[in-house]
Amino acid sequence: MLFNSLDFAIFLPIVFVLYWFVVNKNLKHQNILIAVASYVFYGWWDWRFLALILFSTLVDYVVGVSLGKEQNLNKRKILLWISILINLGFLGFFKYYNFFLDNFKSAFTFFGSEINANSLNIILPVGISFYTFQTLSYTIDVYKKRLEPTKDFISFAAFVSFFPQLVAGPIERATNLLPQMLSKRKFEYNEAVDGLRQILWGLFKKIVIADNCATYANLIFNNSADYSGSTLVLGAVFFTFQIYGDFSGYSDIAIGTSRLFGFKLMQNFAFPYFSRDIAEFWRRWHISLSTWFRDYLYIPLGGSRGGTWMKVRNTFIIFIVSGFWHGANWTFIVWGALNALYFLPLLLTKRNRQNLETVAEGSYLPSIKEFSNMALTFGLTVLAWIFFRADNIGHAIDYLGEIFSSSLFTFPEVIPKTILLLIFIFVIMEWIGREGQFAIDFVKKFNSPLVRHSIYFIVAIAILLFGNFSENQFIYFQF
Amino acid sequence: MKKFLIKISLFLFCMGIFGIYVFSFADGSTDPFYLRFASPRQSSLILGTSRAAQGIQPKILDEILESDKNHKFYNYAFTLGHSPYGPTYLQSIKTKINSKTNKGVFIVTVDPWAISSTKENPNDFSNFREKERILGKVTINNVSPNIQYLLFGFEGSYINILKNKYQNTALFLHKDGWLEVDVPMDSVSVNKRISQKIRNYRNINLPLFHFSELRLLYLEKTIMYLKEYGSVYLARLPVHPKMLEIEKSLMPDFDEKINQLVKSRKIPYLDMTNNNEQYEFIDGNHLYKTSGAEVSKKIAEWIMMMK
Repeated sequence: MLFNSLDFAIFLPIVFVLYWFVVNKNLKHQNILIAVASYVFYGWWDWRFLALILFSTLVDYVVGVSLGKEQNLNKRKILLWISILINLGFLGFFKYYNFFLDNFKSAFTFFGSEINANSLNIILPVGISFYTFQTLSYTIDVYKKRLEPTKDFISFAAFVSFFPQLVAGPIERATNLLPQMLSKRKFEYNEAVDGLRQILWGLFKKIVIADNCATYANLIFNNSADYSGSTLVLGAVFFTFQIYGDFSGYSDIAIGTSRLFGFKLMQNFAFPYFSRDIAEFWRRWHISLSTWFRDYLYIPLGGSRGGTWMKVRNTFIIFIVSGFWHGANWTFIVWGALNALYFLPLLLTKRNRQNLETVAEGSYLPSIKEFSNMALTFGLTVLAWIFFRADNIGHAIDYLGEIFSSSLFTFPEVIPKTILLLIFIFVIMEWIGREGQFAIDFVKKFNSPLVRHSIYFIVAIAILLFGNFSENQFIYFQF
Repeated sequence: MKKFLIKISLFLFCMGIFGIYVFSFADGSTDPFYLRFASPRQSSLILGTSRAAQGIQPKILDEILESDKNHKFYNYAFTLGHSPYGPTYLQSIKTKINSKTNKGVFIVTVDPWAISSTKENPNDFSNFREKERILGKVTINNVSPNIQYLLFGFEGSYINILKNKYQNTALFLHKDGWLEVDVPMDSVSVNKRISQKIRNYRNINLPLFHFSELRLLYLEKTIMYLKEYGSVYLARLPVHPKMLEIEKSLMPDFDEKINQLVKSRKIPYLDMTNNNEQYEFIDGNHLYKTSGAEVSKKIAEWIMMMK
């Protein structure tokens, strides 16, 4: 089920009413409702893959309970590896099998010998990368004794499948979400209003910004050979806003929906395009994934404790794995590696933690230095997104080749004025609200209900008038 | 909780009212299809793909045939992607037709594309692409404003409903269903469009399309259904000679197939492709409106003769 669909507009109020009016007196019943609603939400796409989530849930539940009882270190390690192998096994099969097979075949052919193996027609289960990482975090935390295993299967199933964030995150840690599942929730008016406000902004990002930018990004990327360098730059910029609007819009809707049910999820995006360097960008972009990799891969690899070579190695591993997590294509790997290259100078000069606070905090405008740093970081990000969006490496190289040609200095063939104006307004709104959790979070500071409601109506009317209601799927569903 | 529910309900109610207000502006400038879903049931229909949608003007037919006000012609033709003959189009025709009439006049236009399918198995109905498009998605086609169409069939942003109303657009759908297309008709523009269209049909459509027995069967079913409500006239509209060549490659026995159908179902058939050179085309596939007027006149005279 898509957040931007009529199905979800009917589904959400039904679940909300059942949750707060029918099963509100009993925590267990509330969690059963969450689990059932989540399976319906997921099964709406393809019910066959529910078995996969259920199996994954069962495996991690049993492993968690067993880890709670087992004191022997070797046996605990075996249990941990059972969970890792099963979860990553599913992920590897569904997402990476054909990629590895095709690359092995190409490698063997290159060295003069052929192998006979057929690619499989595999459907990628929506959100598999997200819920796999979420369940893995539980098992690892229980293994590391950061978390007590739960014996309540229903609550655990609700934690794994929690519908607002099941298919595209934020990837919640068991240490944050599971205790909330296990404790009584109370309806709080202010939280619910904040949640709705965040949903409204998420819908604006997705339906107005992302889906409208997608039309032009697709047009330009799909016909890149026909366009000048300047148009291709515009195409890359459209994709830059598309992916941000799409993914952070999803996160906003997910977090806002969770708040309606009394849950607090982690912030997933913190205005990343206002970053002053790449390190800051990665602290603000897809925070739940970056911190997951930091905690469960980077730190176990040694993090930044070793020498320079160790730090460089770990940085490249983290970025390349992160790229590969997004999809089984060399384009994602190069995108990850490129970001590692961007990061490297900051790491080597120990300036990767210099911009920790919000840019121009307390000011209306950034300084010239801040502005130029933001522009440079944004430019680097746009270039990297070309690899992310391109069909293959050749396509990305051709695309970049045309950008860095004399046609860059011609007038773009495609100039959708309305979309450019909407992007401009969007950037202004994001800038105004950059110190909050999301752009229109600041609205709650206005005492006058008239002002607050006027802003809500303006945003809602903008969605209605300028939105693209084709029920476009969220990009991150495929990851 | 009560306060929350009241506020959210009020907010959604206001937005709903605003939405309906915006929808009330929808008209012939909105998009090439909307009015066909927002007009009442009709007694005399023009059917087919975009060739008929642009090429046959109901007003001219009404003038020549002196149609009474209850039997005025209505152009209910869409595009090759939306309305090739098949179960989807037939179902939509059934909900558009005024079932109280038995004196209707139905002009059914046909060409090889309209009885072909793009799939390897051209008789696999589950793969007919029109199922997922407007005629498949929008089941209500005779109310105004048509909320179902505007919610599920309309493509693009709703701001276009307001924008298109107050600016000149190349496409305008008249109240009688005729789609008027206004594009530059200087020889350079026309030749460019024709060569592009011919290239697309030859390189993309020709290898993709295959004759579909099922579509032909549904053409027959459509004719038989319409005969219950009046008289049916089958016509093939003129196309650019180069397009005709492509159509001959797609379906060399098209004439035989249609003649067989016409004979078995006892309906008159007018093949206008013999006089292709007489007409002007926007792009080789669609008649320019002045030529469309001539073609409409000829069809009307032919119907009059056949009556």
